Amino acid sequence: MDLLRLAWRNLWRNRRRTWITLAALAFSIMLVQASHNLSSGVYAQMIESGVRAGSGHLTVYRSGYLNSRDEKLSFDPRGLLPDLARMPAVEAVLPRLHLGGLAQSSRESRGIVLTGIDPGKEALINPFLRRLPKDRQLPDGVSRKALLGDRLLRELQLKPGGKFVVTLQNRQGEMISELFRVHGVIHTGMRELDRSLVMIGRQRAAELAGVPGQVHELALIMKDAGQPAAVAQLRRLLAAERDLRLVFWDEAMANLANAIKLDYASQKFIFLIILMIVTIGVVNTLLMSVMERSREFGTILALGARPATLHRLLFLEALIVGSVGLLLGTLFGSLATWYLVAQGIDLRHWIDSELEFGGVVFEPVLRAVWDPLWMLQIGLYVVLLCVAAALYPAYRAGRIVPAVAMRH
Amino acid sequence: MKIPPLALTLCWSLLLLMPLPRCYALDLPALIREVETRYQGASSHALVTMEIRTAHWQRSLQLEIWSQGRDRFLARIKAPIKEQGVATLKVDQEVWNYLPKVDRVLKIPPSMMGGAWMGSHLTNDDLVKANRIDRDYTFRLLEEDAQGWLIEALPKPDAPVVWGKLLYRIKRTPLVPVLISYFDEEMVEVRRIHFNRVRQIGERWVPLRMLIEPLEKQEQTLLEYSEIEFDLPLAATLFSVRSLKRH
Amino acid sequence: MLWTMAVRNLWRNRRRTLLTMSALMVSVALLILSLGIFSGMFAAMLASATQQYHGHMVISVPAYQDRRQLHDSFPYSRQLLDRLRERDEILGAAPRLRGFGLVSRAGRTEAGELLGIDPGREQQVTSLNRMLTAGVFPSSGQGNWVILGRGLAAKLEARPGDELVFFTQAADGSIGNDLLQVTGIFATGDFTRDNSLALVSLDWLQQLLVLPGRIHEIALALRSPMSAAKLVPVISGQLPPELEVYDWGRLLPEMQEVIASYDVSRFILMLILYAAAGLGVLNTFYMSVLERVREFGVLLAIGLKPAAIRNLVLLESLLLGMLSLLAGSGVGVFMTLLLSGRGIDLSRWISSVTYAGGTIPPRLRTELVVDNLLLPGLVLLLVCLLAGYLPARRASRLQPVAALRGD
Repeated sequence: MDLLRLAWRNLWRNRRRTWITLAALAFSIMLVQASHNLSSGVYAQMIESGVRAGSGHLTVYRSGYLNSRDEKLSFDPRGLLPDLARMPAVEAVLPRLHLGGLAQSSRESRGIVLTGIDPGKEALINPFLRRLPKDRQLPDGVSRKALLGDRLLRELQLKPGGKFVVTLQNRQGEMISELFRVHGVIHTGMRELDRSLVMIGRQRAAELAGVPGQVHELALIMKDAGQPAAVAQLRRLLAAERDLRLVFWDEAMANLANAIKLDYASQKFIFLIILMIVTIGVVNTLLMSVMERSREFGTILALGARPATLHRLLFLEALIVGSVGLLLGTLFGSLATWYLVAQGIDLRHWIDSELEFGGVVFEPVLRAVWDPLWMLQIGLYVVLLCVAAALYPAYRAGRIVPAVAMRH
Repeated sequence: MKIPPLALTLCWSLLLLMPLPRCYALDLPALIREVETRYQGASSHALVTMEIRTAHWQRSLQLEIWSQGRDRFLARIKAPIKEQGVATLKVDQEVWNYLPKVDRVLKIPPSMMGGAWMGSHLTNDDLVKANRIDRDYTFRLLEEDAQGWLIEALPKPDAPVVWGKLLYRIKRTPLVPVLISYFDEEMVEVRRIHFNRVRQIGERWVPLRMLIEPLEKQEQTLLEYSEIEFDLPLAATLFSVRSLKRH
Repeated sequence: MLWTMAVRNLWRNRRRTLLTMSALMVSVALLILSLGIFSGMFAAMLASATQQYHGHMVISVPAYQDRRQLHDSFPYSRQLLDRLRERDEILGAAPRLRGFGLVSRAGRTEAGELLGIDPGREQQVTSLNRMLTAGVFPSSGQGNWVILGRGLAAKLEARPGDELVFFTQAADGSIGNDLLQVTGIFATGDFTRDNSLALVSLDWLQQLLVLPGRIHEIALALRSPMSAAKLVPVISGQLPPELEVYDWGRLLPEMQEVIASYDVSRFILMLILYAAAGLGVLNTFYMSVLERVREFGVLLAIGLKPAAIRNLVLLESLLLGMLSLLAGSGVGVFMTLLLSGRGIDLSRWISSVTYAGGTIPPRLRTELVVDNLLLPGLVLLLVCLLAGYLPARRASRLQPVAALRGD
């Protein structure tokens, strides 16, 4: 205990140095914590908009559909839907049918992907549909009203309310044509999608394709993504349907998952560099203070203290610096996180469009989320690093030869 | 991407084989049906010259065409030499092309069959919808005089047609179409088809020349029949992928 | 005089100097390394789009790049190509003709993009010849060979040696169709390209499309792709008036945006790392100033002006910065070069990422760019001066008598 008090007093003997060291420590901890929280928030935001606009946190496909997109791999979900909807962990089940076809207006024709959706459910989840005003939403599953990508609308030289004909080959091999009217216009920000997307009610799409009641995918939006119990329950549910496969979002949207991994890896690398620089700063401070006090240490050693005591003293000093740095840094890190959670970084001042990342478009307001466990973890790393930083200075201090030091 | 299967260009001439009237009353759907679809169930054989003019090129093709009913159709290029023997077969909704140079048959994927194709001024709509005209439209007589009729065809509410309306100008004697105009939903005229050089073939009067004109471009396609005969006994095997390769 | 003193002062407390230097060195070295990694990533991304397909720069008639209409072609002049090749900035120039149509094999028909190339010249511009998964890259500009993208080959179930039919409408409106012999299959990792692109010989495609002696574009490979925009007016001057030059920034605006925004993040990253390192310098110099109070007192007493004392301390920090910069850059460049060859394969953890029109391969590979050395160096010296300023001011404000007394 005396040693602790001694260490504490030693540190404050040179206030300025200690403060500067603490500032460097706190600054780095704050930076690392805040940017981790921010990117966790942004990643979560991307994943959330990705799964909501795309294929859900989890998706049920027929085996092989994900890679081949073979239209024949559809299935009848009617036996499955009530059970899925009953699961408490499931927020929404979005059945969808995807059909390749041709859209024609009186001027032009374009290849399209006709997507049959359950309008009511989808309007609550899909960010692009949520952005549409209420009177532009698809009314039901059977109407002839359709939502078109904005580029497609332009290329077909259509206007809202205008009609177009969709032609496709149904499952029986016949060419089927059907009239639709532009009801709403969707802008996803992704060029390929905006020039090929046509959304209609699922019943009509299934009738058109000659596969009434069938779907290609069931996108599951979960209340708490990645809950193992829910996943296990889903697997049990699907076990009866031998041909169906449960796919996680990071497989269904591999590009997004990889983009996030890549981004986070480079961020971790930068964290590592920052921590290294800070550690060197701590070594520097401790070593300087050892050199400064060589006379004093010489005296202590001459009085019969063992070098181990000096070692302990220095480790205690490092521990104190680290802990105070951890406290201060976490305080500032929390403040920064609090700001980033409450206010976020609004990029709309700088860019007028959405942000695209890994094939996902999301709102340009970056918001952090709290990750207290990680904040604590990084703080503890810093304390450990500080203690490690004391190794060399302690070694030097222990090797001070009393006589030489006193002469100094 | 625009793919130019000759298939449709050739197929389109099928339409030419249809408008042949005999009896007429002022039952408008019946009249239009007469004009558009009289050849249901019958067969034909014809030699056709097709001249296409676009902003970049113009060319002329000699074609030999056989048809049976609405759904079977075979066309073979006679000239120019470079494309001699290229043939197109349509059975129901499927289209194949035969390419003699490489001795291969290509099935046109469904997604590639629609639309206005590069080079031609014809659309899939013309081909597939021609035989459903009286199912998809309601008709109204706008004018009637000694020469003939002007009939407006309005698409039924849910009919799969891209047009806002069609205008048929039909000649009374002989009963043949003179002009079909295609309008978009804002009633802007988009395309015209002119018919002329009406000749009597057997018992029927047929306009041997047909000009398709998209109005927003300086382009056109002209089809001209040099020979045509009807109601021949054609073997069903003529309209098969196998016979496509023969010749 | 001040220089000698500054050097001597730094030398006097070697350990402290070295320690402070080490913090700065690590910052500089790792900064250079991480900038090198980012540059490598962007270079790979750009390369995926340019070296696998577009080239760094493309010459065509103005309408062609937007609409890709068959008719927007121009005569192929070998003299023009040779003239371009003579320029020092240009590593390669390749003529190309492009046609869209149906590719068919054994009852399977797919839409495809055929790129007519001269293999010898194409290899100077794109690296598709090094991306074959099967077969060989042809050496001749003639013949009916075809190299298929992996996805397209899979859809057609085609392997090297198989025959394909290509079917399209030629420039004179006639039906173009001919047999092709698959000699190779390439995989770029880009989904769209692998699923629709096929390479054929320029002569063959010219004949098929009835565009004898004509091409759609000349693709160029540049020595320094990042300065492509600057080269545009120079190249334009060498061309007939009906042709236009497109640098990759104009062909791939999304990618240009991403790379431009990277300049901002590069700056932020640098400031953060230097802020942490700068605090260390500040600390060291305060220490050294406080330690030398007596010495400064003497200097003041023998008539040195306070401004000279300040300059002395500033000079010391500048010197420290320069030494660290030298050593740090050395280490940084060394590490960058170490990772610039094959790099580290990351495909066990991630697969390639498609982003902004390019593909980032799963490989950690650095790229040495002069820009990544200059700016960090300059800013480091500034940071050192800044960190030296407070201690320097303090040193210059010492009162000789008090200082000598050793307060």
